[in-house]
Formats: sequence, structure tokens, C-alpha cells
Amino acid sequence: MSVCALFTACKIDEPDKDLKRVVFDPGNLKFITNSLNPKKETMSALYGNQEALESLTGENNQPKANSEFKLITWKYHDNPQYIGGTITGELLSTETLQTDKNGKITYQFKDNLKPENNPSNKEERIKYFMSYKPVVRP
Amino acid sequence: MDSVKKKRNVKPIAIVFLAVLGIFVGLQLFNQPLEGKPTPKKIEAPREVLAILENSCFNCHSNQQNLSWYDKIAPISWAVNKDVERAREVLNFSEWNYSAGEHQGKMYAILNMMQSGKMPLHEYTLLHPSAKITTKDIETIKKYTLSLSSVNSTKKEEKNIHQNLNLPENNTNSKSPVSPNGVQYSDDFKSWKVISMSTLFDKSIRVIYGNDIAVKAVETDNFHPWPDGSIVVKSVWKQQELPDGEIRPGEFVNAQFMVKDSKKYTDTEGWGFAKFSGKDLHPTGKTASFAKESCIACHRQLAEKTGFLFDVPMKVNTERLIKNLQK
Repeated sequence: MSVCALFTACKIDEPDKDLKRVVFDPGNLKFITNSLNPKKETMSALYGNQEALESLTGENNQPKANSEFKLITWKYHDNPQYIGGTITGELLSTETLQTDKNGKITYQFKDNLKPENNPSNKEERIKYFMSYKPVVRP
Repeated sequence: MDSVKKKRNVKPIAIVFLAVLGIFVGLQLFNQPLEGKPTPKKIEAPREVLAILENSCFNCHSNQQNLSWYDKIAPISWAVNKDVERAREVLNFSEWNYSAGEHQGKMYAILNMMQSGKMPLHEYTLLHPSAKITTKDIETIKKYTLSLSSVNSTKKEEKNIHQNLNLPENNTNSKSPVSPNGVQYSDDFKSWKVISMSTLFDKSIRVIYGNDIAVKAVETDNFHPWPDGSIVVKSVWKQQELPDGEIRPGEFVNAQFMVKDSKKYTDTEGWGFAKFSGKDLHPTGKTASFAKESCIACHRQLAEKTGFLFDVPMKVNTERLIKNLQK
């Protein structure tokens, strides 16, 4: 009994033992823009390859052939180090939108559960991806 | 016989006493009183807020010193004068020439310093217990500071210490401007990994990038100290709200650099700070030491845990989850 209690105590004492500070690796994709959803308290970063970037630069409804997008969504929190700021926290989901050389689109949604390929809201999500514009800066 | 002995004992003690007294009096000759300064523009705030600031902050952070007698005696006065001069450089309630946005930014900095227990300084309240701030005082400051957000959010001219939209006319048009402390702007960060994203009370949205050295430092919690060569860049935009309430980056505000070089930036905890604002990426600061008077004061007090950087990713994810989602 006491041994059990000891193990439990250890677990309670180190709740963040497996928790890490992580940086998302988008592979060969580059940051295009981001967004913040105050209702859901999430922030998302949109990454893409050159074709994806070009797809969002003009007035397009559909992504160009060979485009690859990734939308990475995080929960945000009040910044623990500064009142008046928020910062990204838990990684919630990744969404991947790809077109092949013929422009055929595949969409995948992934969270900590099973990944979903081409779920029913696919069209809505394509429209959402296409609503982004690359950030403007010098 | 006894009285002769006594006299002999008393004499050395008296000599030592007189010597100490002499040194002490001598020290006062080198005791330069704090320079009295006028109060060109005192901070304006509600009475209850001013009362707290006057009681706990003004002695160091203003031109209106009300020092105790022992603060004015050398050698204590030397330390006090040095502290006051440094404090005034960072924040001076008597020279409050700030826009509404800057005032808001300063109030947030004050609130954060108080809330974290960093100000007033512990060494100061030990000798001046009446300057201690209470939870109620912090609540009063907080209520006022948060009320400023709602006032400013409707205004266009939002500005804080991390924003600088009033750009001079003589644009350099150089794509590689250099900060007065030698930090050079470079576009390289645009292909670095994003380490976090954040927002601030000034209605800005921020993306923080790190070079490979910085990313490795984050992933291994290696902040004390951050390895030399680490570079972190924060790209800042105004928030743009869509009809459905979602927010996207709008007009570019600035790019803030932090470059780690422990030998070069000894006054600022080894970090070289730089801020490049507006379309011409105009560098902030008039002298090489600008960050000593502005940036590092907050970073040193509030972000010590993460090696003087705000916006380091929170320690809230498991490696397994990220590996699974990154696949």
C-alpha cells in the first residue's frame, strides 16, 4: 500500500515530466501567414511550398497544381511571463492540403486521434485555406 | 595604578573612534547630493493610481525625491544616487512625454513588474517598508491598466515600446539597416522555423522565428545561458479582423531581433537587441546603449527564467504528440 502511495506521489510530483517545449518542423515548407481565433482561443500558422504561396497571391479559388499547404493550429494562453500578452501553447491539429500535377486536391485532418482523409467538410476547408493572403512586410 | 591602565586603554579606543568619525566626515565631502531637476510633465492618472506610484515608485523613478535622512549620508547615498539615476533612465514619472499608446505600454510594464514582485526592489522596501505594495494596490493598477486597453483599441494611434510607427522622413531604403549597437537586419529569418506566435495588448499579432541554434536551445531547455549565435526574430503586424471575428496579420509594424553574443553585449545579459520599424525598417535607438535603458530592464526582471526572452514556447506538449502530428 505504502509502496503504491509512493509511486502515485512521484507521479503527482512530476506532472510535466514528459512535457516539452516543442517547435514545429514544417519540412521544406515555408511560413506564409497566420491567424487567431478568439472564440476558439486558437492560433494557426499556415505553411506552404512555392506553388501554395503563388496560389494565395492572386485571386484564386482553387490551389495551383503541385501545391502543398499545412495549417498548424495551437491553443493559446495568457502569457505566463507578461500580463497583456498571449502565447501559443498546446498543439491541437495539423491540416494538409495537397494538389497533384493535375490539380486533384486531397485534404487530411489530424489531431491526437486518428487522421481523417478527405472528411465531409473538405470543400469548406479548401475555401478556408484559399481565404488566406501571405503576410505583407518589407 | 589602575587609573593609569584605564587611561592607556581608553586612549586607543578614542583614537579609533575619532579616526572612524574622521573618515565618515571625510566621506561626506565626496557626497554629491542628487541633482534637483524640474518636473516638466508629470504622469497623469486617476488619484488612487497616482497615490500608489508616488508612495512606492517616485522616490527613484521621478525628479521628486523624498529621501530619508540616512539615504543622504555617504556611503549609503552613493548606492541610492546610482539607483535613482539608473531608475530615471528607464522610467521617469516626472518626464512623461508619451502618447496614449506609449502610456498604456508603460503602465503594462509597471503592472507586470509589480505583479511579479520585482518592483519596488526588495532591497529598497527593506529600508523603506512603507513603500511596499499590497495585493489591493496591484489590483488598482491592474484595473486602471486594463481600462486603457479598451480606450486605445478604438484609436488608430496605438503604440508601445515595441512599436514605432512615427518614422523619420530620411528613409535609407537599405534592405540591411544596422541598429546603433551593431545588430544588422537580415531577411534570413523568413526561412527559419517559427518557435511561437503571440499577441499583445496593443492589438498586434506576432510570429517568433529562431535560427537552428535558438531552436535547439528551446527544444533542450538550454537557456542559462542561451548559446552564443542564437538569433530570435519577432515579426509584428497590426491585427486585422475579418467579419467572422477571426484575426489575420495586417499592416507590418516592425521586426525585433535578439542576437546572442555574450562577449559583445555585456550590458544587456549577452543579448543584442534591435528593432526595425515600418516599410524602411528604420532602426530604433540613438546610441549603442539604447537597449540598456529600454529593452533589458523588462527582459531582465520578467523573463529571467527563460534566459531573458519572452515568447519562448510553453512547456505543455509531449514529444509523442508532435512527432505524430508532424508526420
